[in-house]
Amino acid sequence: MTAASPRVGWNVAERSTPIRVLIAKVGLDGHDRGAKVLARGLRDEGFEVIYSGLRRTIDDVVSAAIEEDVDVVGCSILSGAHATLLPKLVAGLRAAGAGNVVVVAGGIIPEADRPSLHEAGIKAIFGPGTTIGEVAAFLRANVSAA
Amino acid sequence: MSAQPDHTARRALAQSISVVERGGAPADALIASALEHLRQAPPGAQPLVIGITGAPGVGKSSLVSALSDQARTQELRVAVLAVDPSSAATGGALLGDRVRIDERPDDAGRFVRSLATRGSGRALARAAAAASLLLEAAGFSLVFVETVGAGQADLGIARLADLVVLVEGPEGGDEVQAMKAGLLEAADLVVVNKGDRPGADAAAERLRSGLALGATPVPVLVTSALDARGVPELLQQIIAMGASRTADGRIRRIAAHLVARAEGRLAERIATADGDGTLATLARSVSEGEMPLTGAAETLLGDGRSA
Repeated sequence: MTAASPRVGWNVAERSTPIRVLIAKVGLDGHDRGAKVLARGLRDEGFEVIYSGLRRTIDDVVSAAIEEDVDVVGCSILSGAHATLLPKLVAGLRAAGAGNVVVVAGGIIPEADRPSLHEAGIKAIFGPGTTIGEVAAFLRANVSAA
Repeated sequence: MSAQPDHTARRALAQSISVVERGGAPADALIASALEHLRQAPPGAQPLVIGITGAPGVGKSSLVSALSDQARTQELRVAVLAVDPSSAATGGALLGDRVRIDERPDDAGRFVRSLATRGSGRALARAAAAASLLLEAAGFSLVFVETVGAGQADLGIARLADLVVLVEGPEGGDEVQAMKAGLLEAADLVVVNKGDRPGADAAAERLRSGLALGATPVPVLVTSALDARGVPELLQQIIAMGASRTADGRIRRIAAHLVARAEGRLAERIATADGDGTLATLARSVSEGEMPLTGAAETLLGDGRSA
């Protein structure tokens, strides 16, 4: 019964503790179904998931990411404001000394906007149809051992 | 946009809490240096550590948020440790308390950290006591420790906190519920939250009348975290009751940390014995009459291997 679960959220050989992820909703965007599905799904994949709640500012999210000492911030945006908000989030984390935090985005983000977001430091963009397993695998592969 | 807040101290504290969560020698070294810092510091008031417990959904996080706002109006530096359960199956956790707690990124006098229970199997994380010592060393004067939505019998918070506040909803049980042993027994203060809903005052009255049959009177207050009604009075009561209790607080928190470490070691032993079949072998030996019960239990406690 206590045999290790095959679905642990961290590589047991490298980490002694779960990967911590902040799932954040920023700005005037009340659509949080996707964020909640991901939060619950990553929990089942063995991650420690902190959910920010709705309508946070970039400063709120940076501050929460610092206090929770997360490895990942996943920002869900369906408002169309991704081009301004996401680079601000990366810049805010860097300014706070947390540039090592992996920032990923989800929601409705047009293909044309993606290259500039990647350039701004967004490590991955998960659009509609992405499975929880794909997100979990990406995070396990991209979060450094601690 | 506001000027970029300085996160240096906040980040150092957050990272040190992660270290004590991971445990081992680095955690011991950090706790030792926090205690050394506290020994060197001029003797002053120790922080007041307040345990906030109660069933899921009664409004513990919202109340902690409202109490924090109130405490900041009095210039008290406030920290919150918000504990939520880890899954026994996957080790994952959904830490949702921040949803109810207002973010104040510009306020260095506030710190909020979510902790997963990580296999403690209890309403508290094993790292909670150590984290509270780090918060003390970081100069916080009020520390709220919010437990997992606990039922009737999880008393671990009483060891760690100077004062335990039990939060109830407006639809609590009758007078007999208030006469039972357990969590209500450990509560120094009972709060009926959601006082904006009908029935809250009646629930408080039932609790008062049930608790009045005990030897020590336990105050029962009504609050509404929604509109902050009763919150200033609650904070005043907490500070008044807590003032006399903080003198040996640090010793109790170190003791709570020692207990958490011992429990962690025992859990590791049991997991090992479970995993490698030792536990089943011991149980079979007892079943066959080859080993006395006490011997088997002592073997499990000792080195986790069968004799």
